[in-house]
This record gives sequence, structure tokens and C-alpha cells, in this order.
Amino acid sequence: MNMTEPEFEAPAPDYSEDGVDLTLLRWMLSLTPQQRLQALEEHLNGILEIRALNAHA
Amino acid sequence: MPTHSPSALLRIFAEAGVEFIVVGGVAAVLNGAAINTFDTDLVHARTPENISRILGVLEEIDAIYRMQPERRLRPKESHLESRGHQNLMTSMGHLDLLCTIGRGLAYEDLLPHTTSMELGSGTRVLVLDLETLIALKQELNGDKDRLALPILRQALKLKQAKDLLPSEG
Repeated sequence: MNMTEPEFEAPAPDYSEDGVDLTLLRWMLSLTPQQRLQALEEHLNGILEIRALNAHA
Repeated sequence: MPTHSPSALLRIFAEAGVEFIVVGGVAAVLNGAAINTFDTDLVHARTPENISRILGVLEEIDAIYRMQPERRLRPKESHLESRGHQNLMTSMGHLDLLCTIGRGLAYEDLLPHTTSMELGSGTRVLVLDLETLIALKQELNGDKDRLALPILRQALKLKQAKDLLPSEG
């Protein structure tokens, strides 16, 4: 019988020591450059839409 | 409401045969950094042929200076030949045409530090690499630059670790 314990691999941290969200960076790096740009544009235009809706708030 | 479309801006310049390098926040995003930016920064080659191509595109996208937009001032050949920054608003969003960046680095100086990236439909653009973006931000050391630096450094670290992994193909 093999008594050797399976090697435990620590999960990758969610944040770096200086507080950067590494989950977001891993997600961005999983995309193609075209998809990264698309994500930026959707985000920006979403923000601008909300700003326009609240222009008189 | 104005539309911000860095991809449309990059495509129209690439399709017109303009020689440029994507720098700043859009370059950071293309390199995989999760940051926000509301303008597209490009460093252009300052040859007469290239400037003529740029002026053609600027006309097409109705580019005017962001400063005093009511005067609808348009950049001229001499502005694009200078060493300054042209901060413009266009029908596709804010566009900054930078003649030089950092300590006077021009298109030719930055070329060795770029990567060619595919943006779909066969469009390829030259993008400043993360190492150089970090070096430039460290040099500038403004509040905005210092804020972005930890994200850029972590993106570079993850990217380098990813490049070390065996290919899945």
C-alpha cells in the first residue's frame, strides 16, 4: 500500500500582496487581444450610458 | 451620447495604412491588464506620407481638439510633425496623437518594443509591450501612473508565468 500523501497544491491567490485583483488579470489574459478590447468598450459604453441616464441627477 | 470605440479607431487607421504604435491604457488592455481608459493613445511615424494619411483619417472621423471644442479646431500637418501631443475628440471617441512620449521617444525608438496583435478581420496593429509601458510610467511617476503600475506589474508577472507553461496545442 502506498502511504504517500498526494501532493497538495495551494490554490492561486485571488489578490497580490499590493492588492491587485489577480482573478481579473487571469480572466483578461485568457482572452484574445480583440476580446480584451471588446470587454473594455462594453464596460466604457455601459458607464457612459449610466452617466447619460443620470445627467440631471 | 458619444461612442467610445478604440477598436474602430485602430481599424480605420490600420486600414488607411497609417504607421502607428498603440501606447497608454489601450496598449495595457491589449496586453491583458484590467484597467479602464477613456482615450486611445497612438504614437505615429512623422514622415510626410504618414502625416498625409493621418490627416485623411482625421477628416473622416471629424477630429477636433478637445480644448475649446466650440471652436472646432483641427490639427494641421505642422502639429503632427511637432514633438507635442494632440488631444482630440472624434466620432469614435477620444484620441490622443502623440508625436513623442517619455523622454522624447518617437515611433522609431519604440518600434523594437512592440508586438503585432490581431484585432479581427485581418487587422493587425503594433502595440507597446508591458515592459516598456511599465518603464515609461515609472519615469513619468504621476499620480495616475503610480495607480496603474501595480496592475501592470502583476499582469506582466502572470503573462511571463503563462508563457513558461507548456503549450496546449
